Amino acid sequence: MTGAGRSAVQAALAADPVLAAHYADFRAHAEAALDPALVALIRQAVAAVHGMGAAPDEAGLDAATRSALAYARRMTFEHTAITDAEAAAVAAHLGEPGFVAFSVLAALADAECRAALVGLAELAGE
Amino acid sequence: MSTIPRVSSAIPGEPAHFGSVLAHQPDIAASFFALYGRFWGSDVLSARIKEVARMRNARVTECGFCRNVRFDKAVAQGLGEAAVDDITDGYETSDRLTDAEKAALKFTDALIHDPELLNGDARAALQRHLTPAQIAELGLGVTLFLALAKALITLGLEPETMDRTVLPTPAVPEAAE
Repeated sequence: MTGAGRSAVQAALAADPVLAAHYADFRAHAEAALDPALVALIRQAVAAVHGMGAAPDEAGLDAATRSALAYARRMTFEHTAITDAEAAAVAAHLGEPGFVAFSVLAALADAECRAALVGLAELAGE
Repeated sequence: MSTIPRVSSAIPGEPAHFGSVLAHQPDIAASFFALYGRFWGSDVLSARIKEVARMRNARVTECGFCRNVRFDKAVAQGLGEAAVDDITDGYETSDRLTDAEKAALKFTDALIHDPELLNGDARAALQRHLTPAQIAELGLGVTLFLALAKALITLGLEPETMDRTVLPTPAVPEAAE
């Protein structure tokens, strides 16, 4: 992440307000489809895998949420190894629409971390 | 990696595919297709370089669907199958890919695999061949290619078999213009 909640991609697109607005809209809709607390946990868990901050404290979380976070972590480097059973568990917890949003958000969070690590905003002159 | 959909289609009568599954979340779908159409419609960075990066992402993430799709705008800009075949490990020595495309590929590898790959020489080459605005578009593209490939794969939407398919390049849906 770059700045207060702004991703490296958003920062890189500063010179193209239309494309930046489209990206922000997509990102906002992906986040709005899930509970804000879960969104924050997913982003934190994924960022921690990339060495970008501490992992979330899961002590007070229910088992289903912990499973969802474990799944989000798997998205970062092991996406082809995720099993049908793992997916079914998260889908059962979130429902099909929620699982779709979760999949998009977790994958986007991973990609945004990678964009930050490669220095996208700086390369784009921001 | 599953080729059995892990989510049902949200469009009656249609099988589960990326569009019909994303339809479970209409706002996400609409905003994504508007973004993707705008991205491909912009000519700040050529469609050919975008497609080169998309092909590299498809191979590294093992997205069979992505790997078998071609967008017609890049084909019209001269990206033939011989050049696509060179978008594999060792692309640095290809005589079909331009230096700008090789620099974009190194950036793609760095973003989707290992940021250390964008070392001093690779970084300098990228900045020599692409403007900051072009790098911003490339970064957006690779971010989306990577995220969507992973979402598609983990939702079980990989086809069991698929022929190479040339599709119209995504455009901004009329409702989003």
